[in-house]
Amino acid sequence: MEGVLSGLAALGDPTLLLLLVIATLGGVVIGALPGLNATTGAALLLPFTLTMEPIPAIAILTAIYCSATFAGAITAILINTPGTAASATTCLDGYPLAQRGEAGRALGMAVVASTFGGIFSVICLMLAAPLLARAAYNFSPPEYFALTLFGLSMLASIGDGSPLKNLIAGGFGIFFALVGVDNLTTVERFTFGSYELYDGISFVPVMIGVFGISELLVQASNLHVKREAVRMKAIRLPSRDDYRKTWRAILRSSGIGTFIGILPAEGATVASMIGYNEAKRWSRTPEKFGKGAIEGVAGSEAANNSATGGAMVPTLALGIPGSATAAVILAGLMVHGLRPGPTMFTEQAEFAYAIFWSMMLVNLLFFVIGLSGAKAFAHVARIPVQVLWPCVFVFSIVGAYALDQSMFDVWVALISGVIGFFMRRYGFSVVPLAIGLILGGMLEQRLGQSMVMLDEQWWLMFTRPLTLFFFILTALALFGPGLWRVARRQRHPLTSSGE
Amino acid sequence: MSDKPASPGRIERWLIPALILGFCAAAFYVSTTFKKMPPILKRGIQPSDFPQLLLVAIMVMTLVMVWVDPIRIRDRLQGTVWGTLVLFGLFAALTAIDLFLALSVFALALTVFWGERRPAILALVGFVVPVVIFFLFDQVFEIRFPRGLLTNLWYG
Repeated sequence: MEGVLSGLAALGDPTLLLLLVIATLGGVVIGALPGLNATTGAALLLPFTLTMEPIPAIAILTAIYCSATFAGAITAILINTPGTAASATTCLDGYPLAQRGEAGRALGMAVVASTFGGIFSVICLMLAAPLLARAAYNFSPPEYFALTLFGLSMLASIGDGSPLKNLIAGGFGIFFALVGVDNLTTVERFTFGSYELYDGISFVPVMIGVFGISELLVQASNLHVKREAVRMKAIRLPSRDDYRKTWRAILRSSGIGTFIGILPAEGATVASMIGYNEAKRWSRTPEKFGKGAIEGVAGSEAANNSATGGAMVPTLALGIPGSATAAVILAGLMVHGLRPGPTMFTEQAEFAYAIFWSMMLVNLLFFVIGLSGAKAFAHVARIPVQVLWPCVFVFSIVGAYALDQSMFDVWVALISGVIGFFMRRYGFSVVPLAIGLILGGMLEQRLGQSMVMLDEQWWLMFTRPLTLFFFILTALALFGPGLWRVARRQRHPLTSSGE
Repeated sequence: MSDKPASPGRIERWLIPALILGFCAAAFYVSTTFKKMPPILKRGIQPSDFPQLLLVAIMVMTLVMVWVDPIRIRDRLQGTVWGTLVLFGLFAALTAIDLFLALSVFALALTVFWGERRPAILALVGFVVPVVIFFLFDQVFEIRFPRGLLTNLWYG
């Protein structure tokens, strides 16, 4: 309780409040800009936070996370282009509503549903994260190893790549985390005598590269795409009839989004898809979905914003990122010398609760900002890519350099960007690469510790109930979907026509 | 003989897995050269054990990928992407003279290459933005940039 109150007291700092307002505004702009999203925004702004104290630094990153996730809805509704992938399902009904002249109503519902989902998930975060941390407090290295492995296995279903390609990308992320001096034995690995590689590959420039610079190359291949904007008179709060139609969808999607967010590596995009589908499944008028159903907007937006709080649960309680943006925030925690995990709620309780309260505040802030400024932010979305992306490049390179004031990091960012672009082109998501890079060292360290503890008899890991449980979950995450498909195919064999 | 151009992705289907397998094989070989620790110092696993396990796993997944989930691409790489990559090379070369000169020239060249012609916009992207970012980092975050032709004018 003391941590809860001292965390709230930390928000009394006027400088922090001002920073949160600026970060929320910045997050909304980032979410509204084509090609930029919460992950890219957090990765680009991470170097700016290095000189700050941990609370404002991480609060800024979480503010970007929450507000940019919401702002994706603005472009989804007004120009049929989701500002973030998590808002893709918002386009389905938001844009048809806007075409009917109800853009203000759709945006109003998006703001209300996002705020409700966001606050709901932060309350769940405040309750669930300390409980999860307490449960994990007695984990020993084998349990942690199995848990980290489970977190990595969830990469199979993250991002826009196929499961197998995601796992390969995650494998490469882990591999790059092994470059440098081995922490356990001090043996140099894959350094080739390079002084710069001695401390390993820093994950901040890699993130700037794979999320920022690779997107620049993606934009280079989409220069011909024209965006049609819909005019909006004014944004307005949903009517009583709208609330009557949507409150069940908002509540259901908030629960779904929070749960999906808590699952390691699953983020707002998956949450919004499931939230939207469930809103349609339970609707009395499912035939209206895709043609401008207000419940569609509510279901999608409540789910993607509630995933933000959910994703922070494993990030803070276990040190395993709940989404791509949470991975960047985890990187920020590590850069600031903080160690996410069970001890965070005992040794750094003020910090943890200050972050929770700041997320709560940000959700209220974007409610105000979203209602009052959506029309202005819609104009931001029309900034030409020819102007936006060269500026993003300058920002990315300077940010990569600023971390250690090293040109080597600039080359890492540039090369990561090019590699990231080709990965995306060939169907490999870059998110597993980034998460693998963060968790790789931890995974090896915990395997080593487990081997010491078990006297190098690795099979003894399977005799520990919790470790075995996580291994079974890992196996289910890896092979479950494939086995399910095979089982379904056997139950419903294809006809000769393939139907 | 067919006049139809080769469909995109035919080469990549084999080339990308081959590159991954080649990289993993080379990395595996390098890992065999790591120093072996005596049993008392090895802390559970040898430094080469985990990388080798991982590389084998990546190679197996890559081989499975070739048959189960091959590389598919829908379109050829556009000229604008190649041009942007060339500009990356120009940026890298110019950093030898000055980082901010390189950033400024790159930003300006990219804006022009992507079709912007308005002088005010070009000045904004090629001059104002790099200068503002330089002073923001230099004055607010106290980051010192590498010396070069332009930064020397400021640092003296």
